[in-house]
Amino acid sequence: MFDFDATLPLMAVQFLLLAALMNVVFFKPMTKVIDDRNDYIRSNEADAKERLAKAERLAKQYETELADTRKAYQATIAAAQAEAQKIVDQKIADAQQEAQAQREQAQKELDQQKQVAMQSLEQQVEALSREILDKLLVGI
Amino acid sequence: MLNFLDVPNSLTLASLEVGHHLYWQLGNLKIHGQVFIVSWIVIGILVTASLLATRNAQRVPKGIQNLMEYALEFVRDLAKNQLGEKEYRPWVPFIGTLFLFIFVSNWSGALVPWRLIKLPEGELAAPTNDINTTVALALLVSLAYFYAGFSRKGLGYFAKYIQPTPILLPIAILEDFTKPLSLSFRLFGNILADELVVAVLVLLVPLFVPLPVMLLGLFTSAIQALVFATLAAAYIHEAIEGHGDEHDAHSP
Repeated sequence: MFDFDATLPLMAVQFLLLAALMNVVFFKPMTKVIDDRNDYIRSNEADAKERLAKAERLAKQYETELADTRKAYQATIAAAQAEAQKIVDQKIADAQQEAQAQREQAQKELDQQKQVAMQSLEQQVEALSREILDKLLVGI
Repeated sequence: MLNFLDVPNSLTLASLEVGHHLYWQLGNLKIHGQVFIVSWIVIGILVTASLLATRNAQRVPKGIQNLMEYALEFVRDLAKNQLGEKEYRPWVPFIGTLFLFIFVSNWSGALVPWRLIKLPEGELAAPTNDINTTVALALLVSLAYFYAGFSRKGLGYFAKYIQPTPILLPIAILEDFTKPLSLSFRLFGNILADELVVAVLVLLVPLFVPLPVMLLGLFTSAIQALVFATLAAAYIHEAIEGHGDEHDAHSP
């Protein structure tokens, strides 16, 4: 059972040769394949992460732009409404003023004519009353 | 009728043959032929599987490439766990080949019915149930860790022997002998014992009863390959790190 002979050194040499051979045909190429794959996966992952970050950044930028635009057009609408309101108010005030003025004018003319009429009426009254008086006094 | 009488003899799948070898004469050296035959088959399996796996390596692994990548990652993790992230890379081929060779050898001994192939003398079996193979592998491990220690620290490697206190010097020296001894005898004993138990059981009760033991044998074989490779990596790690700077190595 324990007979040592030339099998031992030959087996050792053979094993070393096998290790060298396996290094060439198995360990080196296989390690390279695995490392290459790891590199590939890592680089792809980094690339994808970068793209995802870029997409998220773009989305955020778009959102802020959208919000800005919304704010801007709301401000524009509000400004336009305010301006229109102001014009409307202005116009109404003008029209009211004008109407007031015309009314006053008319009133004034009316009063003047009334006065003129009154005056002439008064003269006529005086003339008539004088005539009446004259006629009465003649009898005396 | 005579043929019928011969049948039991020719059909015995197992009988106990320990210490019989198929001797080959090489100059004036004797070698165990059956060990080399099976080890060549094992080497053939390993190299063929490697070539098939790497011949057309894809980014998305398929079939045998998947299997061999799993094997590679297994031995890589084994080496990494023992040697640490920084040191393990150059040792992966040695430790990995140790594991794969022992593993395939053990399982070939447990799975392949070598008995069906007749040899003039001795029998085909796992190469690892010959003491020469296990001692050769264990001595290579010893050489490997001495090489690792010397290439890392030069002659300062010897400081390890008197590092905590010179009183332990004899024990430290003894360790260098017990390491290969325990490595080789553990593997040899486990594999040989397993094959003997299976053979004895098959001899006594030919059907079904030996199956659990055979399964246990498969388990033991795999565990022994793992233990051998792990211990080899641990010894190399010990030689590289030494006793003194172990804390420095783990702190960063």
